[in-house]
Amino acid sequence: MATDDVGAVDDVVRRAQHGDVDAFEALYRAHSPAIYALCRRMVRTDGEALDLVQDIFVRAWERLTTFRGQSSLATWLHRLGVNVVLEHLRSTNRDAQRLIEGNDNTFGSRSPDAQIDARIDLDAALVQLPGGARTVFVLHDIEGYSHDEIAQMIGIASGTARAQLWRARRALMRLLDL
Amino acid sequence: MTDSHRHLTEEQRHALADGSLPADQLVSAETHRRECVACADDVARIEILMTRTRDASPAAPARALDELWPSIRMRIEASKVVPFSPNAIRLESRRRARRVGSAIMMAAALVVAAVALGVRASWRRPTPFSNAADTTSLITVADSAHAYETEAQTLLNQLELRRSMLRPETVVAIDHDLHIVDSAIAELKEAIAHDPNNPALRRLLAASYRQKVDLLKRVGNAG
Repeated sequence: MATDDVGAVDDVVRRAQHGDVDAFEALYRAHSPAIYALCRRMVRTDGEALDLVQDIFVRAWERLTTFRGQSSLATWLHRLGVNVVLEHLRSTNRDAQRLIEGNDNTFGSRSPDAQIDARIDLDAALVQLPGGARTVFVLHDIEGYSHDEIAQMIGIASGTARAQLWRARRALMRLLDL
Repeated sequence: MTDSHRHLTEEQRHALADGSLPADQLVSAETHRRECVACADDVARIEILMTRTRDASPAAPARALDELWPSIRMRIEASKVVPFSPNAIRLESRRRARRVGSAIMMAAALVVAAVALGVRASWRRPTPFSNAADTTSLITVADSAHAYETEAQTLLNQLELRRSMLRPETVVAIDHDLHIVDSAIAELKEAIAHDPNNPALRRLLAASYRQKVDLLKRVGNAG
């Protein structure tokens, strides 16, 4: 399916909204790489990212009838994906506290080997970040959300979101040798 | 900042780099940036990070996304069959019901799909090109199924260690769900034994192993 063919996409979306699973599969094929990219950056492992992709598309199917076309389907799916990922992070004990408070005692205490490995590329470096800093960085610098939007989505103060972003950028600059 | 001789604050450096510095601070900040090498270098490094971030995109694992679809489809089909009332049950039990429903649907659909695909495969007359492509596909999908199978076995071993600590009704529910998925896997293995060169069957097998791994992981997380 050509994603830039608006008429075709509209038709596929409409068929999916009417319960056509094959049409929904076409939407999955077109949008899953972008959704995977979003998930992969926000969690630590491939498996976790793939589980989230699955959850996001099941949720998308359940809510597809609420899509009215005010935004593109990609934008709608993206926002839905962010919500699912944030729900997941909140429900995961490991990341919940970090996500809310931005505390992480392990931050900056990585082994030398881990630091060297993380210089390989941005994705490896992102994995090294604590959950809260990574979430804010991905949402702001990659996905383009404002501090106020992020604060609202995560349930933290806007100032905390800013501080998390600066912290994440500094850590990444160190890890990437910038 | 009102004094262009004072170093830029952390906030100003980041805001200058990402273009969010308020207009009333912009002129003095830019003036300082032109005069101060340290601040200019630091802002430039933040800008490099931002450019690099925008340009980089994680490579999507096409095969894994491909294998994910059957599981999604099963969950979708399950949600068609069993509509859940959002207010009727708690989130956790809803989630579990959906997973169990999907496992049941998966078992049923996989058997149907296995039969259908087996028939379709017997009609197909592959070209030399498609033979080569299928061979590659078969190898990669077989590898994937094997990896999931290994992971599932590890998780099963962990479950066995914890089994005595779980509540009896939980153990019964887990065993029931595992039996459904294992039945689907057994059916698919049998179908593959009759049609070993059918990549679609092998993809379904990999997907069902993945379903088993998902189930075992959830059991582990719940504990």
